[in-house]
Amino acid sequence: MTFYEHTIIAKQDISTPELEKIEKKYQDIITKTDGEIIKVEKWGLLSFAKKIKAYNKGFYIHYKFKAENKTLDEIKRSSIIDNSLLRHLTVKYKKLDTETEYFKEKDINEKKK
Amino acid sequence: MKRKSNKKFNKRPQNPLNKLSLFQKSDARFSKKCPLSGKDAPVVDYKNIKLLRRYISDTDKIMPSRITSVSQNKQRKLTSEIKKAKILGLI
Repeated sequence: MTFYEHTIIAKQDISTPELEKIEKKYQDIITKTDGEIIKVEKWGLLSFAKKIKAYNKGFYIHYKFKAENKTLDEIKRSSIIDNSLLRHLTVKYKKLDTETEYFKEKDINEKKK
Repeated sequence: MKRKSNKKFNKRPQNPLNKLSLFQKSDARFSKKCPLSGKDAPVVDYKNIKLLRRYISDTDKIMPSRITSVSQNKQRKLTSEIKKAKILGLI
């Protein structure tokens, strides 16, 4: 069992109940294939540095989990097929850092005020 | 009468990089330590965008280590980490 991080970018024009469905879908994939979720972070709506497939913004969801090879195959396969996703990235780690959060939603709200 | 030691001349603050002639070697050297290695160094990670932005030019190119004085080991990590951030559209 090794540690992994998986981030998903969903399209901007997706409604909030559909977003929650997507979030649950990938949690279920991890738990069904004997994985263990450590943390789920919602980074919220962020703007891209460059346009991706004619979209300027996207919803970011970030998973931290502990799993084996078969869950990775399943996650990568399903996120390629998924039409509501723009991009995805998985990174392997020896040690997971669960404390520091670089994208907090609070920071965005403070700036608006 | 003994001559006073010429302290006045020594006291004058001199820039070590100043040279009188072209062929004279300057005493000082540009010896900068790597800003990413050491005890209190920041974490190089694809989520840490504030740090990665410092090592990118205006046209989104990765800066060479001879300008930023990052060590070889950390430069290799920086490049891979910047490329990951570019995939996610963060930089």
